[in-house]
Amino acid sequence: MIRCNHCNAQQMNGTIFCSECGASLIVEGPRRETTNALNRTVDGIPSVVEDGPPMVVPAPVPVAKVSGICLVVINSGRRINLESGEELLVGRKDNQRGIYPDVDLGLDGGYDAGVSRRHAIIVPNRKGYMLEDLGSSNGTFINGTRLAPQSPTLIAHGDELKFGTLILRFEIA
Amino acid sequence: MAPGIQLRSTLSRSVLPDAAEEQLIYVLLEMSAHGVPTSTPKLPLNLCLVIDRSSSMRGERLQQVKEGANRIVDMLGEEDCLSLVTFNDRAEVVITSQRVRNKVDLKRMIGGVEAAGGTEMATGMALALQEVQRALVSRGVSRILLLTDGRTYGDEGRCVEIVRRAQGRGVGLTALGIGNEWNEDLLETMSARENSRTQYITSASEISQIFTDEVKRMHSVFAQDMNLRAEMRPASRLRSLDRVRPFIAAVQATEEKDLIWAANLGDWPGGDPQAFLLEVVVPPLAIGDHPLLRVTLRYSLPGMNLLNQEGNVVLRIGVRQAASVNYAVDVTVKHWLERLVAYRLQAGAWQDMAAGRIEDASRRLQMAGTRLFDAGDVDLAHTVQDEATRLLRSGQTSAEGRKRIKYGTRGLMGGETQEREA
Repeated sequence: MIRCNHCNAQQMNGTIFCSECGASLIVEGPRRETTNALNRTVDGIPSVVEDGPPMVVPAPVPVAKVSGICLVVINSGRRINLESGEELLVGRKDNQRGIYPDVDLGLDGGYDAGVSRRHAIIVPNRKGYMLEDLGSSNGTFINGTRLAPQSPTLIAHGDELKFGTLILRFEIA
Repeated sequence: MAPGIQLRSTLSRSVLPDAAEEQLIYVLLEMSAHGVPTSTPKLPLNLCLVIDRSSSMRGERLQQVKEGANRIVDMLGEEDCLSLVTFNDRAEVVITSQRVRNKVDLKRMIGGVEAAGGTEMATGMALALQEVQRALVSRGVSRILLLTDGRTYGDEGRCVEIVRRAQGRGVGLTALGIGNEWNEDLLETMSARENSRTQYITSASEISQIFTDEVKRMHSVFAQDMNLRAEMRPASRLRSLDRVRPFIAAVQATEEKDLIWAANLGDWPGGDPQAFLLEVVVPPLAIGDHPLLRVTLRYSLPGMNLLNQEGNVVLRIGVRQAASVNYAVDVTVKHWLERLVAYRLQAGAWQDMAAGRIEDASRRLQMAGTRLFDAGDVDLAHTVQDEATRLLRSGQTSAEGRKRIKYGTRGLMGGETQEREA
């Protein structure tokens, strides 16, 4: 038997979501922020969603100056600011195999969402930024369209990128 | 390959660690048709429209209903049967069950319906069953299409009883609710059987489209009498069986004899994907490969005169030493499970609420919101969060929010699609 972290209910081995409270039992590494946390009471007064950290980051405002890029994890709001001008590996860190991606989605529940260790790369070129899937198990998507593996595709400011089932927004800052 | 329905199964994990205790495994069962011409002759449709004509239907709603009904008349042919029953405080048969020959006359009768009075559904349903049975044929699709915008008082039990009788005779129900006043528990209960569904219409302008879509769906039925049988291995058991596509609904499975479970899946309209999720409890097994269960689907393809067809699939699992087993789960299985869990959580929340356990209800709704976020349904997740917050603050939820959540978590909101590349 395993025990649910969230409600302490006993669950059968292999259970993916707790049958009592619905919490995920397969989150590896740091716990993902649940929306529950956003509604947690402060001094016994229930706070409302609107008062908490924004769950969806406001729409991007395009700017002309190109100095860096940013990936925004939609369901947690985490912004990953990146240096432009070099190849960036998107994946999940694996110490044993010596894989240290520039964008480690393991911190955002990437394991759960089906992000491969070496999932995709973002490559700058003179036209802008190209996204290339590295033959990931669960695919890379631009605005809902799946990329063929190893075929670099141009991405633009505001595009929605999906790695496995994890959704990020690409922004040029 | 002979024409027929193929079964495809995906396990949450195909390799389990060896363990001295029971383990849970999830099975996604998808069906696809092979070699069945998409243009098989339409099966005759035997349709009864049951329309609420209480005074609240006055105006655009009834106007849209009439327009929708007229469009249905246009879509039906001579081999189809149509009847129309209206109800307010009383019920009456406006069109007795008849072949769709004189379309002008039929439309004139539809045009004469006026809105007035209250809502008493059971008598309307009783008349509908009577009409639909007049034209009951062995080959064809029989359906009652109900539309209401209000609550019926005191005859809910009779409504369910009548609709169960209809479903027992192979007559399905499509129950449409419009506005915020109708009783979603009643419509859900009435349609919790094979060949039945319920849908929430948020705006009167959708009525006509939903009517015609529904008739198209009924006309596209190509497989009927689908029955699923699951033969389990000794000491294992089926913990649950749910439909996940085209919408989420628990499927009633009965244990026919030891280790053999059976469920009636009804008809298959061509455009609807069919997928089911099974929770299977696996007993401790030795290291090696084992058959887990055999799933058999029996069905008929009446358009091709292929009756009592059968297809099956045997699911196997491997058991390995715990140290060598990777815990990754299949993302597609997980995605549908996530939606199913969200649906179950909100259903539990309404039960908690009815029993006065407001905090538990709110907690369940919040978790349902988390599951929906993870499943990528952000809009619905926000609706759920808003209601969870409202519930904690005021001890109540809004009628509209509740309906949106109940129907949205099942994938049954008008105009929304649940399609997703996996």
